[in-house]
Amino acid sequence: MSALSVNRALTLLLLIALVAAPPLLGWMEVDFWLVVLTEILIWGLLASSANLLFGQVGLLSFGQALYFGFGMYGVAIGIDRFGLGLWPAMGLGIAASLGMAAVAGLVAVRLTWHYFAIITVVFSLIFYFLALRLKPITGGDDGLSFAAPPILDWGSLRLTLGDDATQYWFVLLIVVLAFALQARLRASALGRAFAAVREGERKASLLGIDVLRVRWIAFVIAGGLAGLAGALFALFGRYASATHMYYTVSGEAVVWTVLGGAGTLLGPAIGAALLILVREELSTVWEHYPLIVGALTIAVVVFAPKGIAGGWNLMLARVLGR
Amino acid sequence: MSVLELEGVSRQFGGLRAVDGVTLSIGSGITALIGPNGAGKTTLFNLMSGLLPVSSGRIRFRGQDITKLPAHRRAKLGMARTLQIKQVFAGLTVLENTWIAARQRHRPLDPFRPAANDRATRAAAEAALETMGLEAMAGRQAGSLAYGDIALLEIAMALATQPALLLLDEPVCGMSPSETERTVARIRTLSATTDVVIVEHDMDVVFGLADRVVVLAEGRVLADGPPAVIAREPAVREAYLGEDEEAA
Ligand SMILES: Nc1ncnc2c1ncn2[C@@H]1O[C@H](COP(=O)(O)OP(=O)(O)O)[C@@H](O)[C@H]1O
Ligand SMILES: [Mg+2]
Repeated sequence: MSALSVNRALTLLLLIALVAAPPLLGWMEVDFWLVVLTEILIWGLLASSANLLFGQVGLLSFGQALYFGFGMYGVAIGIDRFGLGLWPAMGLGIAASLGMAAVAGLVAVRLTWHYFAIITVVFSLIFYFLALRLKPITGGDDGLSFAAPPILDWGSLRLTLGDDATQYWFVLLIVVLAFALQARLRASALGRAFAAVREGERKASLLGIDVLRVRWIAFVIAGGLAGLAGALFALFGRYASATHMYYTVSGEAVVWTVLGGAGTLLGPAIGAALLILVREELSTVWEHYPLIVGALTIAVVVFAPKGIAGGWNLMLARVLGR
Repeated sequence: MSVLELEGVSRQFGGLRAVDGVTLSIGSGITALIGPNGAGKTTLFNLMSGLLPVSSGRIRFRGQDITKLPAHRRAKLGMARTLQIKQVFAGLTVLENTWIAARQRHRPLDPFRPAANDRATRAAAEAALETMGLEAMAGRQAGSLAYGDIALLEIAMALATQPALLLLDEPVCGMSPSETERTVARIRTLSATTDVVIVEHDMDVVFGLADRVVVLAEGRVLADGPPAVIAREPAVREAYLGEDEEAA
């Protein structure tokens, strides 16, 4: 039995558990966790966008909230101002984040390490303050709230986000598709070009890899993933606000990624799940709960530098004797 | 027919002329580039491969002016090189290293098709490993290899791009005598299909391999000719070979 097949089996089990969560949680009479789980899926998707850049291409972005925000406002403005349906509004959100990433990426990918991190923060701060200022478009401090259009409306078949289970399955479907796409990407020639650029950009260029172009492609895809997460988040809250464009949101995505395991497929989502659960459980009990988050993150970074998923893979390799 | 032509190529670092008006035609076979430390050999490789821009002069490769082309474009045109400080993709497997190199000729940024299904690239990647005698290590993590094997893998990666010209910067530096001997034999084999420029300090290697020796000193070409002639040049013996004997 290989580590790969163990992980595949576990992923399948996780998927089954996630699909079955609504009736399962209902049966255990803890329905309120379904909404938390929906949120975890969305934040896990945002973390995966930071991971695509950091874990796969080696670029540390502290600005993914910007593209998250474009996805979020794209949906809110699409529905509230243009009267779009749910799917076209999502399309607008994703297109906006892709476009923004395509432009910002032209500048950002010329830089690496802390310079790259700084420019990504700077971009996101500019648009954060713009979002606060442009009240007629974004609603400023108050944000934009809207009524969510139905997911599907085919005569007698009508699916809406108003039902928690439907909303959860809708988010799950899209998040699973986004992760499947990332799995596909990792296994492709482009995924290997990402790895080459991460492992040694000079060597990569000497082999014929256009490093800037590869980084730009990753930047745009990551922007699109963050935008998708933002679009889902707006639909989930029926609300868009500049708060979720602030750089602390980007920072959380990085912390989730590092904690869960940068470079692994599911690590970022695992990190997001863990820290959101800690928050949910502790924030009501103890106001200084971020201390625990900090301690947990430091412990993982010290004892498992490759994060939870990385540590798991290492252990698996040892147990299976390789 | 020369593959690579340099015309008055110079490179300055502040006040230092590391490469100073080099005019060279690299022909077929193995050309050795020798010279004392700091002569400008690595810098010249950087100018040829595009890792550094020239301060002045022109470079033509296979008939095309490449003076302004970035490194990856030159690689695509068929120029490959290894680095003096060996570098491979340490976190990937040995086979993945040559796979990436081999794949650059065919839809290198395809985001959909699984890499594992690309049999042709895999075959090319394995062939490159075989040429350098690394096939037994295909599944190992590249970063875990011994130094000598990393040097061989770097050459294998360069070969996997199917270059017309291969630039090797001190390829046997740090290898044991037996490793050196095997590597020299492999370089001789691969020179049948690709032209080679080799920077090397080991004079046995140089005179054993080269069809032509170019001597560089203080950024300038001091002498250029067949090994037997170069070995007798008084200026060369003084500037370089003499120094080498002192060091030995
Ligand atoms: N990037 C650089 N910046 C400044 N000086 C450099 C740089 N690269 C090389 N040099 C200088 O150029 C000269 C030639 O170096 P190099 O080409 O490495 O010599 P060689 O490979 O023949 O030993 C040396 O004096 C070196 O210090
Ligand atoms: Mg050198």
